[in-house]
Amino acid sequence: MEIKYTIQGLLIYITIAAYLLAFATTIARRVRAGRAMFIAGFALAAISFVYRWLHVQHVPLQNLFEVFLFLGVACYPISWFCQHALRIGGQWADMLIGAIVLFPAGFVFNAEPMQLPPALQSWLFTPHVAVYMLSYIFMLKATFQSGEQLLNRRPRVEETLIPPEQATYELIAIGFPLLTLGLVLGSWWGKLAWGRYWGWDPKELWSLASWLVYLGYFHWRHMFGTKHPRINSLWAVTGMLAIIVTLLWVNLAKVFAGMHSYAT
Amino acid sequence: MSRFRRALLWATLAAVILLTVLSIYGAFLGADRAQALFNSVPLVVYWFATVALLAAGIALFRRLLRVPSLLAMHLGCILVLLGAMWGSQPGHALQKRLFGIDKIPQGELDILEQIDENRVEVTEGKSIRELPFYVRLRDYREEYYEPGRLFLWSRDGQSWQMPAEAGQTMVLGKNLGTVTIRRVYRNFRIDVENGQRVTYDEPGGFNPALEVDIEGPGAQPGKRYVFAWRPAHMNPDSSLAMNYHQAVRDYISELEIIEDGEVVASKSIEVNHPLHHDGYHIYQYKPGGENEYGNKYTGLLVVSDSGLNVVYGGYVLLIGGVFWHFWGRRILHWFKTHYVVAANLPGESR
Ligand code: HEM
Repeated sequence: MEIKYTIQGLLIYITIAAYLLAFATTIARRVRAGRAMFIAGFALAAISFVYRWLHVQHVPLQNLFEVFLFLGVACYPISWFCQHALRIGGQWADMLIGAIVLFPAGFVFNAEPMQLPPALQSWLFTPHVAVYMLSYIFMLKATFQSGEQLLNRRPRVEETLIPPEQATYELIAIGFPLLTLGLVLGSWWGKLAWGRYWGWDPKELWSLASWLVYLGYFHWRHMFGTKHPRINSLWAVTGMLAIIVTLLWVNLAKVFAGMHSYAT
Repeated sequence: MSRFRRALLWATLAAVILLTVLSIYGAFLGADRAQALFNSVPLVVYWFATVALLAAGIALFRRLLRVPSLLAMHLGCILVLLGAMWGSQPGHALQKRLFGIDKIPQGELDILEQIDENRVEVTEGKSIRELPFYVRLRDYREEYYEPGRLFLWSRDGQSWQMPAEAGQTMVLGKNLGTVTIRRVYRNFRIDVENGQRVTYDEPGGFNPALEVDIEGPGAQPGKRYVFAWRPAHMNPDSSLAMNYHQAVRDYISELEIIEDGEVVASKSIEVNHPLHHDGYHIYQYKPGGENEYGNKYTGLLVVSDSGLNVVYGGYVLLIGGVFWHFWGRRILHWFKTHYVVAANLPGESR
């Protein structure tokens, strides 16, 4: 954990603050003000991204810091897209997600170019991580929707939004191909770097488990449709729990010794 | 839905849940024991059952056969599983029995400069076997990140680091003083001339070192040398430990493949860039170096490519299938409803 005393850092912190403020305002039912804050946060995130671009003189998607910065920008367009194209609500969650994804950029990852060990120097590094993170955003949104379903909430504000159970399905349907791609890219990279496309190390196994939970979700929902909406939602929540373990536990707690552990 | 097909769906669900649980269990075991678990007899039975289940699904559910995206992803899974089985240890034994193809699944190849080698130490069982071609090491080198970094530790556990560039200084505090890097050597040498020690950088060799000055109340005056090969240690008379670290950027082996005394292929391989020849991939596996006679050596991994294209083909089908099924059809639907006024709505989401 480190604080960045730079213009870049400052921009990120202000953006996080704007996203959190947007979230708080929306929760307090000041929906319009919340949306305005969200847009302001997005604009700041975009400035932050462009600033980085000018600073490093290449598309800033080459290390973890830059990937998370990008995700901080992507949150608003994703939210807008979900609301307008898919009629999925839950913008309050998107504001929170924006703050969550910017947190590692602001406090965890080093903005300096990293001295990557040879195995991590691959063009597959960025797409593998970026695709995973993008899918996690959709899965996280799905989890919030399944939470709303479990709490029996219906979209209050706008009648045109689809109900949470269906929204969960739509979001997982968008996130799942990305999750699959992330897994396959990782496997391909493993083949190039270590000579095997699958090594049974803990991180790989957890990511497989996450993928399988969503696979189970689809087959379950194929069998029962919306007959047991709560169980459908529980599948989605379980998938998110597996993702969180994949993402955090193995990397940060270093509970298991695996080949992936130095990717932090 | 017939009872049989219902049972098949339940079996699928059970298979997915079982594999999920085993994956999580395997994560607690660590990679080696997990690998043993997933290659054990009950799991081999499981893999075959899953392939059969997928095949039965395609045979018995019309939709799986008729909807191309569903067919692609289920077929993709079958290919991944079959390809992985074919490339496994027992898969190689089967290849030999059925088709007489006798390949080494995986092994290590340690070679010395200019000495053609084809003997591989097989990973499973540690036996020595021969490749159908020889591998020659023309050159081996390592590249480092420039500049390296100087790490410093004080007795009370504080630590610092700075770029290892001449002219860099860092203030460590009132008691410890100021550290300045005076000179960076790529190949440090020392001679004594007229009773004086003379240090210089000799071209060619490799012995990275830093010349460092520490000025301050507690510091001993004079130059100090920090060597990359030497781990950090604390002299009894000093209040700082130092280490000069150069992170490796790449290990590179220039290889040639020899068949019937002729060079038939060559490539500079490095991590993430293997060489492919005659059914094998050759990877930079371990750091190489120079032995006491000045000969370079390197550590390679040789892996059979059996089944790999089948697995990759499965990946392509799987990826194509899921994207088409979940994205493509939605995008198409969206275009139809927005731009084709009289379009029929496919009742996609249930
Ligand atoms: C283990 C690997 C498998 C994978 C990766 C897989 C993947 C998928 C996916 C992603 C769907 C789409 C779900 C949806 O549209 O909501 C699906 C549907 C389906 N799968 Fe699988 N599946 C697997 C195994 C099986 C097996 C073994 C069977 C056969 C019993 C099966 C039968 C079906 C059926 C009947 C559907 C529904 C098709 C429809 O939309 O009507 N799957 N599968």
